[in-house]
Amino acid sequence: MNIVSQILAVTAMNLRSIPQRLGNSLVIVVGIAGVVAVLISVLAMYLGFRTTIDGDASAERVIVLSRGASAENESGLSRENVAAVMNAAGIKHDAQDRPVVSAELILVAPVARKRDNSDVYVTLRGVGPQYFVLRPELKLVSGRLFRAGNQELLVGASAGGQFAGLEIGSQIRLQDGDWTIVGTFAGGNGSRESEVIADAQTVMSAYKIDAFNSVSVLRASGDGLATLKTALAEDSTVAVDVRTEPEYLATASGSVNRMLQLVAYSIGSIMALGALFGALNSMHSAVAARTVEIATLRAIGFTSLSVAIAVLIEALLLALAGAMAGAAIAYGAFNGSTISTLGGAVWDSQLVYSLNITPSLVVIAIVLACVLGLLGGLFPAIRAARSNVADAFHER
Amino acid sequence: MDRRWEEATSGGMGMRFIPLVWAGLWRRPARTILTGLCIVIAFLLLGLLDGVNAGFAKAIADAHRDLLMTNTRVRGGGLMPISAMATIQTIPGVKLVAQRAYFMGSYREPAAQNMVAAIATQPELFFRLRPQFMAAKGGLDAMRENRAGMLATPAMLEYFGLKVGDTITVRSQTLKTDGSRDWTFSIVGTFDTIKEPTRATFGIINYAYLDEYRVENRGTAEIFYVRIADPTKAVATAAAIDRIFANSSHETRTQSDQDRAEFLAKQMGDVEFFTDAIMGAVLFTLAFLTGNTLRQSLHERIPEFAVLKTLGYSDARVLSLAYTEALLLFIPAAALGLALAYLAAPLGKEDIGAIVVSPAVAATGLLCAGFLALLGASLPALRLARMSIVASLSKR
Repeated sequence: MNIVSQILAVTAMNLRSIPQRLGNSLVIVVGIAGVVAVLISVLAMYLGFRTTIDGDASAERVIVLSRGASAENESGLSRENVAAVMNAAGIKHDAQDRPVVSAELILVAPVARKRDNSDVYVTLRGVGPQYFVLRPELKLVSGRLFRAGNQELLVGASAGGQFAGLEIGSQIRLQDGDWTIVGTFAGGNGSRESEVIADAQTVMSAYKIDAFNSVSVLRASGDGLATLKTALAEDSTVAVDVRTEPEYLATASGSVNRMLQLVAYSIGSIMALGALFGALNSMHSAVAARTVEIATLRAIGFTSLSVAIAVLIEALLLALAGAMAGAAIAYGAFNGSTISTLGGAVWDSQLVYSLNITPSLVVIAIVLACVLGLLGGLFPAIRAARSNVADAFHER
Repeated sequence: MDRRWEEATSGGMGMRFIPLVWAGLWRRPARTILTGLCIVIAFLLLGLLDGVNAGFAKAIADAHRDLLMTNTRVRGGGLMPISAMATIQTIPGVKLVAQRAYFMGSYREPAAQNMVAAIATQPELFFRLRPQFMAAKGGLDAMRENRAGMLATPAMLEYFGLKVGDTITVRSQTLKTDGSRDWTFSIVGTFDTIKEPTRATFGIINYAYLDEYRVENRGTAEIFYVRIADPTKAVATAAAIDRIFANSSHETRTQSDQDRAEFLAKQMGDVEFFTDAIMGAVLFTLAFLTGNTLRQSLHERIPEFAVLKTLGYSDARVLSLAYTEALLLFIPAAALGLALAYLAAPLGKEDIGAIVVSPAVAATGLLCAGFLALLGASLPALRLARMSIVASLSKR
């Protein structure tokens, strides 16, 4: 018999005997299912958070902040600054020859989270009249736009789903009285959908604030970005930093991001270590229980290599079954569910995002399971290969 | 039968209980060690996760119930007039009131790395109200003598390479009455903070000085700290304060320090749900894995237990042998895991917040370990106790 058919024969024998030692084999499956379920749930949370923030980035959009500010809420731009930016060269103009810009300021509005009724903040963004032109991915889905001068709000679809009291027609008590919700908008990957928007000028007069946080502009085609940067650098009345939206979002990843990453990887690796010991234990017993069978195989001419590889294959298959089970559990429990945590545009405002168990997460789970299965099978496989035929029979 | 087994049984019935258990435990050292390692890892994780829960609970419990904070209800809205301090002081049960305004600026370029933040207040009242800040000796007197004085944390002095006696000029967005934005303070002393002393880099300045020279927001404060005589009256007093400002341009929300800590914990997202879910997954996986090991280990020794029964061991005694063995496997491993969690807890401080592996967390963990041990040993042990001696011996 050649080595391949030997391996197949031993593997088949091993697999057929699994029902007789089901409990033991299930240890690998359950252990790895547990690790995989937890790891991909946490990773789904992390990735959901990241894609919600990064996904809306467009290299066509440029965000202007005051010099040295790394996030919107650290930045302040006076009305004069904003006027200077709006009139600068390098900005795309619409059909009426108006620059496509939105001067914005961010505040927070107190709301209650539906699930646990806890008091949280959503980002309240004061935006310019061209906001929806600048962000064509966002669409008004119900109601109407706010009218400048009226204390009216539009609610992002994710925010409306997650927080209470954000239906069209309801009112929120903000500065200077009650503000009425007149419509909802949706689109993009969601970070803007977590927000409530209003006319910037109306917000500024109600809050008696005389400065914006940022200006977003659509850059002119060609070398619009370079033109805009040069124009603003040469303008001595403003001190600003100009970044494309992807650049800005890369620098503005917050502490929640770091926390989720740390949690995902530290919990994942600790659990993986535990599952590895479990797999080792289980394969070890599997080999120990079959000392005699293995010795018999060796005695009738099976090579030690084929015996060892068969043990590895068994470990691998059990681990894969675990990975599938774990992915299925995570999928059933969390796929598509929507949660909110800190991470909005203001340091304590909420970001709403959903958990998706994507194929790439399942691939990660499978790779992890294979590694654990192989490591868990390795030492028992070596042991099986090295077993002394005479001793094994003697033990009987 | 191996030598230890013989030694253990040779001393006569009941006399050598612990050695007997010990011999059983180490019957297959590899299995015992691997199972033990699984338990260690599981309890490391359980300790850390429960520690996160405990950390939040502790932050809430540590907060002072007799300290109220009055904020504007809508953030970014109208600031509260300083004259309200006197009104709050007249509310029955109020002992002490101090105001707080924020002052920010940069000490040198680049501004983003050299930000100076200071709390403008009445230092004498402030330090009495906020026991987590402790002024060094003489600091309060120096602040009274020097209106432009600043108390700084040692961490701040170290960060900027300053020492007591130096002056610091801070460029701020806050405009001065003389038209400049440069504010000069002399550092007259230091103060310590209980929380994260190495990361707290900020100063305390005289509110009277700031208010006299600033152009905007004169005569206003952002927060009032209120100490009340009777913590059980916190809710009523908070409501009384908020009534003063009702229907004004600066409606307030007064919360006790404790409410605020709870609020912040909730803002994080649903931390407890999350940690509980993972803990559940870990416990289930561990119960399955160790249950299997115990079942296997006891099953293998049915004939040996039969011998013991033949020698006159009662069923109860055989049962307690099995239970003791399981406990001996679980408790030390769980204790080691919890000890590792205690040692690892400070690593997460930066990104996750305080992880407190308190005695309560340890006790819960050990109880859990004991429960798992008894649960895992129960099924095989009961079967063992019920089995007839003849049937058991025939398994030999």
